[in-house]
Amino acid sequence: MNIKIGFEVHQQIATRRKMYCNCPTNYQDVPPNTNVCPICTGMPGAKPLPPNQRAVEAAVEIALMLGCRVYTNQTIYIQRKHYDYPDLPSGYQRTSLPLAGGGSLLGVRIREIHLEEDPGQYDPLGGNVDYNRSGIPLVEIVTEPDMKSPEEARNFLRALVRVLEYTGKVRPEAGGAMRADVNISLEGGGRVEVKNVNSIKGAYRALRYEVIRQREKLKRGLGVERETRAFLESQMVTVPMRVKETEEDYRYIPDPDIFPLILDEGWVEKIRERMAEPPHLRESRLISEYKITRAAAEVIVSERELADLYEAVAREVDPKLVAIWFRTRLKKVLNYMKLRAADIKFTPAQLAGLLRMVRDRQLTPEQGELVLRELAKHPAEPEKIIARLGLFPIKREELLPIIARVIEENQKAVEDYRSGKEEAINFLTGKVLQLTGRRADPREITRLLIEKIGKK
Amino acid sequence: MAEGTLAKLARIRGGELSAAENVASALERIQELDRRINSFIELNPNALAEAEAVDRKIKRGERVGKLAGLTIGIKSNINVAGLRATCASRTLQNYVSPYDAEVIKRIRAEDGIIIGMNNMDEFACGSSGETSAFGPTDNPAAPGHIPGGSSSGGAAAIAARLCDLCLGTDTGGSIRNPASHCGIVGLKPTYGLVPRQGLIDLGMSLDQIGPLSADVAGTALLLETIAGRSDNECIMLKVDRVNYSELLREKSLKGMRIGISEKFSELTDPAIMKVIDGQIEKLRDLGAEIVEVDLPNLERGLSAYYLIVSVEFFSGTRKFDGRKYGRRIEDVCGEEVLRRILRGRYISQKEYRGKFYQRALQVRTLVRRELLAAFERVDVIVGPTVPKLPHRLGTKITPMEMYAYDYLTVPANLAGICAGVVNAGRVNGIPVGLQVQGRVLGEPEVLRVMQALEAAG
Amino acid sequence: MGERLREIERSAEEIIQTFLKSTENLPEMKETYYSLEAYNVVRPDGEPSPEEERRKFRERFISIMPRSDEKGNLRVEVAAWLKER
Repeated sequence: MNIKIGFEVHQQIATRRKMYCNCPTNYQDVPPNTNVCPICTGMPGAKPLPPNQRAVEAAVEIALMLGCRVYTNQTIYIQRKHYDYPDLPSGYQRTSLPLAGGGSLLGVRIREIHLEEDPGQYDPLGGNVDYNRSGIPLVEIVTEPDMKSPEEARNFLRALVRVLEYTGKVRPEAGGAMRADVNISLEGGGRVEVKNVNSIKGAYRALRYEVIRQREKLKRGLGVERETRAFLESQMVTVPMRVKETEEDYRYIPDPDIFPLILDEGWVEKIRERMAEPPHLRESRLISEYKITRAAAEVIVSERELADLYEAVAREVDPKLVAIWFRTRLKKVLNYMKLRAADIKFTPAQLAGLLRMVRDRQLTPEQGELVLRELAKHPAEPEKIIARLGLFPIKREELLPIIARVIEENQKAVEDYRSGKEEAINFLTGKVLQLTGRRADPREITRLLIEKIGKK
Repeated sequence: MAEGTLAKLARIRGGELSAAENVASALERIQELDRRINSFIELNPNALAEAEAVDRKIKRGERVGKLAGLTIGIKSNINVAGLRATCASRTLQNYVSPYDAEVIKRIRAEDGIIIGMNNMDEFACGSSGETSAFGPTDNPAAPGHIPGGSSSGGAAAIAARLCDLCLGTDTGGSIRNPASHCGIVGLKPTYGLVPRQGLIDLGMSLDQIGPLSADVAGTALLLETIAGRSDNECIMLKVDRVNYSELLREKSLKGMRIGISEKFSELTDPAIMKVIDGQIEKLRDLGAEIVEVDLPNLERGLSAYYLIVSVEFFSGTRKFDGRKYGRRIEDVCGEEVLRRILRGRYISQKEYRGKFYQRALQVRTLVRRELLAAFERVDVIVGPTVPKLPHRLGTKITPMEMYAYDYLTVPANLAGICAGVVNAGRVNGIPVGLQVQGRVLGEPEVLRVMQALEAAG
Repeated sequence: MGERLREIERSAEEIIQTFLKSTENLPEMKETYYSLEAYNVVRPDGEPSPEEERRKFRERFISIMPRSDEKGNLRVEVAAWLKER
């Protein structure tokens, strides 16, 4: 069955002040109605301040990163979108005409990008309103209905969040910084819009629910009418939100209290120069420039800071070796320690130093991983960590007697190997490794063992 | 003739009259006369204490502001922290303002004493002063007649000498119309000259705050206090403060080119026109050159204005949903307010946008273009303020008849230019004001012409 | 009430008719949305407003709320779309 899914994604832009007033933006950290002033609570007579420049530029940057064409040299009004809801203190939301459009990401077309302001927080069940969030700048990203399954939609959102985070200009994805209106239609049914989706997981669940619900209705010949529904996260279901579903008339007018924007090419160019390289483009470049695998490149660009670190280290040491380490051991250490790349404290030079020693076989990869773990915990020069951990590679004179001893004591395994049981060699290597206090390179041990035992 | 604003100011600064005495006598007059006039909705309980603080400064020889100790009435659509900005509506009947409008901050910084909140047409929707939820205001200069609106209370308070100065607001004539009917001075500044932060919306692209006073010097003084750039809002001219009082020292009108238009006499009651023509002769005598200008589309402004203002008012009143403060506007407002909301809601619909709203904005372009072209030939344009005499309080008139009061005042708002009013004389004992329109930031010329006429008596 | 409302609606439209008549023969023109012509008036991001200023406002704001709770939330109705469930 043909499914069409599209998004209107709203992402908060990270600024210190709100969009149209000077209240702080840390709305989650303070008691209700604390970060507020006459402007963001809709007091009679309150006028907006001029738009926050950082928010405008962030929206343009995001548009550029999504491959959009920025609409330069045309009048971009900040419009009033009127509707009555308790979270909207003025009875309208300010939303710009599209700043840009015509981009794409993972083959999903980006229709347009707007600059908006967040409403306050309204608890529809309890009837509480808190305006701390009111007026936080938002970028709205509208896609075409190009996704064909909830899984594809989820992948798109993940990729989008990664692009957004790459700009460094959005609030980190936690606690409702990203919200989406999801629209989904099945062949033969009307378009259903689902609001109140606050996470990627939520979007996926809401879509799965809708696919099943709509499919059932169509199967029973009931038809699916065009409507707006709300996602109830706690129950993982969607419910109808408005009864009459003719298109709502928002009676847009340009806000008479805010001058329009006209983005000139010079301004946009300046933003383009400062802009981060979008992750999907960076991935392709890393593959061709450093001759690394797509799998490694994918991991490396998953976070902007990780990719920055990679490139800094790859300039010092063999890029392929570095890529392997990033994909495996570094990723493992970061996951284990629950660290984001942005939280890494050690320097590229320290990591490069460590990898150089691994390359020169002064350390085994396993020892290297131990050092890396320490490096992540307590950054220092790798030499110092090695000395502290007492890690130094075992000397050949020391290793050979141990190998002889293990062969002596494990004749059964030796025979097994000789008679064709390949895995017996791993057992013997393990024994040697243990006796060396893990100071020897397992690959080296295996090589020496085979030399001694002789080919099967 | 009562004492001029500057003379009184000099007495206060000189310690001859204390600010506290000035406030006390204003409060006494209000007590005595305002029950009948109904020009104030609420009085500032701290006025005396604030005046005493000014007196202490004067006694200690400290610098005091340029409004030191003068009593100032504020139209009830301007926020004054701690007082009620009701807009003379049941919607905001109990709304105690939590903040000061930018103009109020500026008045306080110059040691002006806010005496109270003036009555007005509800949400500034009216030209008679009769639509207030707190009852109509009488015209002290022509008792039994409307004072005009919507800054009815301010104009009446000045006419009755209840306070020294008032702040009004003007979206389509709301300062000039009552100034004319009450025989006082008023000025609508150039759009964007005076900050609107804290002014409750009528038509945001048209609203301006401006002064009302008994003499031109008072208007200049209050204007220079409130005018000039502000970073606290978007739609402002980036202009520095101007000392208008200083500029008024130039008394001659020699070399000034003053425009007149036949259009004015076409639209205006001949009796009013006769008084205005008399003043134009005076201007000629004072050395000005009188030049005829062409304003062929002037009267088209009126209906376009009412469409634009309705859309903006509809938008601006969406916040009055009764949740955060006050009551839901549609539940409690008067007829004219509701009429404008319904009209605004109707014509801002998606399907009608092009036909009504955008078309009205085109007419605005036309009126604006015409006026700006005229100002390439003249420094100011003079003529009547209101085309007809004020009706008697309580007379039933239709909405269209009410709107017709605004024919001559709305063009200045549509064009964003400035315009002042000074008394020109009387018709049947009722004051008639001369309107002096100036170009963008043409306040100095407008004030100069007004002052010359005032001095000529 | 219904009668009065209809009358207000009717009178609201009178001036629209006048407008249509008065603009019948006018050519199309550019719209003037703003009395001032300017664009790209923005303000820099920066230091938020002083806490003291907001603290004072908060007190006054809560005091004029028709209904509030002890945490400082504005209390309003439960959403209509939930009530219907």
